Amino acid sequence: MDPRQAVAVGHLAYEVAALRHHDLLAEAARRRAIHRATTRRGPRGTGAAGDAWAIVASVAPFGLVVGVTIALVAGRGVPAAAGLVATPLLYGGSAQVAALNLLASGAGALAVLATVAIVNARLIVYGAALAPHFSDQPHWFRWLAPAVLVDQTYAAATARQHVDGRAFRRYWLTVGGILGAGWTAAVAIGAALGPALAQLGPLRLAAPACFVALLVPRLRERRALLPALVAAVVAAAAASAPSGLGLLAGAASGFVVAAVMERRRP
Amino acid sequence: MTALAILVAAAAVSWLLRVLFIAVVPASRLPAGLRRVLDHTGTVVMAALIATELGHDGGVAALVVPSGPLLALLAAGAVAWRTRHLAAAVATAVVVGGVLALLGLP
Repeated sequence: MDPRQAVAVGHLAYEVAALRHHDLLAEAARRRAIHRATTRRGPRGTGAAGDAWAIVASVAPFGLVVGVTIALVAGRGVPAAAGLVATPLLYGGSAQVAALNLLASGAGALAVLATVAIVNARLIVYGAALAPHFSDQPHWFRWLAPAVLVDQTYAAATARQHVDGRAFRRYWLTVGGILGAGWTAAVAIGAALGPALAQLGPLRLAAPACFVALLVPRLRERRALLPALVAAVVAAAAASAPSGLGLLAGAASGFVVAAVMERRRP
Repeated sequence: MTALAILVAAAAVSWLLRVLFIAVVPASRLPAGLRRVLDHTGTVVMAALIATELGHDGGVAALVVPSGPLLALLAAGAVAWRTRHLAAAVATAVVVGGVLALLGLP
């Protein structure tokens, strides 16, 4: 080898080693930042526990509404104990309210199961979108942890794209565990206090306000605007359709627009 | 079938929906184009959830005609845009909605 070539190769090797060292330092810094974000509560509630309590505060009013529904249908042939036992298992307010009302009106098992499947169909898409976070996780985590997959945990997790591995596991279990306990407690309180709570109208705004707070920061990305707008218009137009079909129609329309946009992207 | 058994079966259906693309069928087998579309899941579903809630009483018009819930959610959106703070946005919506209801705005 020519001496100048040898020097060049040596220099290149040094540069590669330096870059690798820089990458390792950057990676270590990134992991420390993630560790801090997922183990402590930041100044504006940016840690896992902070996220979890903020979400509990936002879904608690909706939990109270589900509890009130349990109390109301208890007089129409659906035991309150059944509604309460199902709460942490079903873990979805809209689906639970729909199922309880159908049972109270005398609907059969198939109708109830089909309605729950339609209302919760979006969970399939959430699972697919979050799958990369779960792909390298232990077997037990992949099968059991999705049990706490709901709109809020999905949105919170996707807001932390760079949290993965063990940090993601800790984040997910903290948020899911606190939210599960808070949600079940809110439903139980709602069932105990019953119809007296039904008079507190503005509390019903808590659940949609939570979705607004999760949606708005995503709209800073321009390509998100059109699919969201189309989804909203179609969902509002079909809002009175039964069994959550309005929600599905809106989401499906938004996905179609997103698919067309993504196909045109270079 | 008792109500409890039906609700437990409904919970099982929901769990299957949750794990389908996480533990049953690896999402990595999905085409790249479909995965890019899935990036829009959050915005699309959140927008549809909000609009369904608003549209129950007024259809598409409920998204533009001023009402207590619409103004309360817009206020929550403004707080979320500025602060990115979830609890502050939710509290804003409940307070603004309550005040507007007291003022008689439907």
